[in-house]
Amino acid sequence: MEVIRSAYLDEKLETVRGIDFLQYRSADLPTWCPGCGYFGIVDAFYKACRELDLKHENIVTVSGIGCSGRTPIFINSYGFHTLHGRSIPVASGLKLAREDLTVFAIAGDGDALGIGGGHLPHVARKNINITFLLFDNSIYGLTKGQSSSTTPYEMRTNSHPAGNPDTPLNPIKLALSYGASFVARGYAGDPQGLKQIIKEATLHQGFSFIQILTPCVTFDKENKTWKNLNEKVYELNRRKEEKNMETAMRMAENEPYGVGIFFQDKERLHYQEILRNLNKAD
Amino acid sequence: MKDINIVIEICGSAGEGTISAGEILSRFMSGQGFEIMSFDSYPAEIRGFGKCVAHTRISTSRIYSPGKLADVLIALNDKHSIFQLSTLKENGILIYDSQPVRPHKEDKSVVGWTKPGMISYGIPLNMLAHKATGNARGMNMVALGALAALFYVDKHGFTDSIKARYAKKKQIVIDSNVNSFLEGYSWTKKNIKKIDPYSFKGITSPKQKEKLIINGNQLVAKAALDANLSFYAGYPITPATKIMEILSRELPKHGGILLQTEDEISAIGAVIGAGFGGKRAMTATSGPGFALMTEFTGLSVMAEVPAVIIDSQRAGPSTGMPTKTEQSDFNSAVSGGTGDCPRIVLAPTDTKSCYEATVLALYLAEKYQTLVVLLLDFFLSNSIRNINIPEKPFSEYLDANIAPDKNDLKDYQRYKITKNGISPRAIPGTPGGMFFSTGLEHDASGRPNYSEAGHLEMTQKRFRKFNTVLSEAPAPEISIIDRDEFDIGVISWGSSAGAAHEAAMSAQKKGINASSFSSMMVSPFPEKALIEFADKCKKILIPELNFSGQFANFATQILKRHVERLNFITGRPMASEDILQKMKEM
Repeated sequence: MEVIRSAYLDEKLETVRGIDFLQYRSADLPTWCPGCGYFGIVDAFYKACRELDLKHENIVTVSGIGCSGRTPIFINSYGFHTLHGRSIPVASGLKLAREDLTVFAIAGDGDALGIGGGHLPHVARKNINITFLLFDNSIYGLTKGQSSSTTPYEMRTNSHPAGNPDTPLNPIKLALSYGASFVARGYAGDPQGLKQIIKEATLHQGFSFIQILTPCVTFDKENKTWKNLNEKVYELNRRKEEKNMETAMRMAENEPYGVGIFFQDKERLHYQEILRNLNKAD
Repeated sequence: MKDINIVIEICGSAGEGTISAGEILSRFMSGQGFEIMSFDSYPAEIRGFGKCVAHTRISTSRIYSPGKLADVLIALNDKHSIFQLSTLKENGILIYDSQPVRPHKEDKSVVGWTKPGMISYGIPLNMLAHKATGNARGMNMVALGALAALFYVDKHGFTDSIKARYAKKKQIVIDSNVNSFLEGYSWTKKNIKKIDPYSFKGITSPKQKEKLIINGNQLVAKAALDANLSFYAGYPITPATKIMEILSRELPKHGGILLQTEDEISAIGAVIGAGFGGKRAMTATSGPGFALMTEFTGLSVMAEVPAVIIDSQRAGPSTGMPTKTEQSDFNSAVSGGTGDCPRIVLAPTDTKSCYEATVLALYLAEKYQTLVVLLLDFFLSNSIRNINIPEKPFSEYLDANIAPDKNDLKDYQRYKITKNGISPRAIPGTPGGMFFSTGLEHDASGRPNYSEAGHLEMTQKRFRKFNTVLSEAPAPEISIIDRDEFDIGVISWGSSAGAAHEAAMSAQKKGINASSFSSMMVSPFPEKALIEFADKCKKILIPELNFSGQFANFATQILKRHVERLNFITGRPMASEDILQKMKEM
C-alpha cells in the first residue's frame, strides 16, 4: 500500500506537482486527531472532485453526528451537518428536490448502522442517486471509545471493558442485500484507490455505497490500527463481472479487507427516472 | 323566506352505506344552496361491525359548529342506534326499521328506547330494499327516500345527486340505488302521517356561486399545490394520510415529487433536505409521528432551514384514539423538543381557514427560514363543509426567499446578524454563496461556536425573527368588538373556535353580555390583542378539547389572571351548547 499523502501534510509537495485539488479544501483546519484516517479520506475526496471537475457550488455534502459529521466544514462546497444517523434522509430529500446537484451523504459506523440503520435499506432499495460514504472505524470516537455496530466481537472498549458481547454487522453484505446498485470498499490509507472508487461512485446513476476502512488512532489500539490495516488491506481481484450478486456476497463474507467494487448494476434506473416513467405511464 | 337549521344523523354498522348516505345528503343540500357541515365517526377497524355515524348539519345561515344534538336520527342498525339515541333532541325524530329481517324482542329495537316527546316513524327499510333490489344493500337509500318524503325535499334533485355519486359505477349500481330511494319515498308518502314540524317546502336559498364541498385534509392539499409546494415526504398515519394520498396523485402533475418514507424521522429529514435545496416542502402527520419528528424540529430552527409540518391531532397520548378528535398537541407543537426553540404554530379555526393557513405556513417557513407547525385535528381534517372556491394566493406569497445580493456574496455570511433576524439565504448552486450549516451553535459564517456571547447573539437573532412574524399574523377573530365591556369573554383556539363564537352569539340573545376571541397564529401569540380583549371582560372562559387545559395554562401566563376552563376529552368536537351552559353557570 502506498504511504498516505494528505492534503494537509503534504501541501507543498502537491502544489509543486501542480495538482490543484486543494481548491476543494476549505480554509478550516480539521479538528480530527493527528494521524486520523479521515485525513486520507478527505484527501481522496478532494482529488475525486478535482478529476471529475465538479463545480463547487453544485456539490453538497450532508453529514450526521460524530467525528465524520464535521467533514463538510473542511470541503469548499455547500455543506450540511445534520443529526445523528440522519444524513441519508436529508441528502435524499435534497437530491430529489434538486436533481442538478451532486449530493454526498457522510456517516460514521455508529451513525449509519446504529442510530440511522433504519434508513439504509430504504435509500438503497429506492436507488436514490446519492453517494454514501461510510467512515468505518468500528468505534464511537467523539464520545470517546464505545462499541459500535462494527466493533469486533470481544474487543475491549470503554462501554464493554470486558469485551464486546455483540456480533458486528457486515456493511458490505447489508448494502448488497438491501439492493444498493453500487457497493464498494475503500481504505483511508490508499487515497489513490479510494479516489478512484469515489469517482466511479459519483458517476454511478443510483445509490452508491462505499464502506471506507479507517483507523481511530486514539480509541482503537487493537483492531483497525494503521499497522493492522496496512498489513491486511489488499485490492480485490475484480473488474469485469461486477453485476454478479453471488460472487459479491461470497467476497463480502470472505474478504473483509479487500478493497474495490463488489457490485455495480449500471442498468437499473434511479429513483427519479423510475418516478418519471411511472408518472408518464399513468 | 323561512329559515332552517337542522341536524340529521344516520347511524349504522360499518359496511351498511352509512357514510355514503351522509355524503349524498350533504352534497344534495349544498346544491340546494344551504350551508352544510358534516362529520362522520367510524371505528378504527377497516372491517367488522363497528358503529358508523354520519352527522350532517344543514342551515340557511352560517354554521359555526356541527351541533351537539340531532334533530333527526336515521337508524340503519338497531344495536348501534340505541346508543346514538342519547344525542337525539328531546323532541327529535327517529326513523327506524319497522320490519327488520331478524325479528327481535321489543327491547332490542331502537324504538323501544325512545323517550316520551320523541317522534318515531317506522319504515320497513329492509323489506323495501329487498323489494327494490333483491337484497338489503339499498337500505341507506330507502332511508334517504323516507327522509325526502317526510321533509318535502325535491325528489328529482335528490335522485340526480344519487346518480352523480355513483356516476363512475355500473348502470346496475346506479339503478338499484335510485330505485331503493324511490321505493322509500313513495312508501313513506303513502303510509306515514307526518306529525313533526320540519319541512323544506318553500325554503329556497339564493342561488350561490359554485361551492367546493371539501374537508380540511383536501383543502390543505389544494392550498399546498396552489402555494407552489414542490416536495412532500410522509408516512401514513390517521387522520393525516389523506393529504399524502391526494398529493401523490396531484404533485407529479405540478412537477413535484412525493416520497413515502420508512418513518416520520426520515420524512421530516427529507423535507428539511428539500428545504435546504430551496424548494417548498412539507409533511403531514399526527401526534405519534410528530413525536418522532420532534428530533428534527430543532435542526430546522437552528440551521434556519424552512420546513412545514402538519399535525392533525388525534386523542390521547401514545397511540391513543386514532379516529377521535382532541386538541392535546398544543404543548408539544409550541414547545416540544430541546433548548430554546422558537417556531411558528398556526391553528386554523375552521375548514375554510385551512387554505389560508397552509399558504401562510409555506410562505412564512420560506421567508423566516424556520419551522412552521400547522395544527389540525381529526375533526378539521375530516369534517366536510361547502365553501366558496378560495382565491389563489398573491404572488408575494409564492416566492418569499430573501436571497443574498452581490454585496452579501462578497464575503458571504449565511447567518449574518441583522435587525429583523433574517439573514439572506443562498441556495445550493449559487456561485459564491457556499456555506456550512449545522445543528451546533455557530457564528455568522455557520462555523461551530460555543462562546457565551455567540450563543446569546444567535439565540436573540432566532427569537428576533418572531417580532416580525407577528406583524404578518392574521387578525384575531373577535365576535363583538364595538363594546367596551363584557361580562364574559370566551377565548378559544383551533377547531373549538367555531363553537366558542357561536356560543358567545347565542349568549347575547339570552341576555349574557359576551364576546369571543380566537387567533389562527398561536406561536408567536398576538399577546397585545389578547390582553386588550381580556381587559374588557369581567370573566374569561377558555374551552378546549384536552384534559389539562394546555392553552388555558399558556393564556394564563400571558393574562396573569384567573380564567375559567371547560375541558372535554370525549373524542367529539366542541359543542356550542356546552359552552353556553358553562357561561350560564359562571
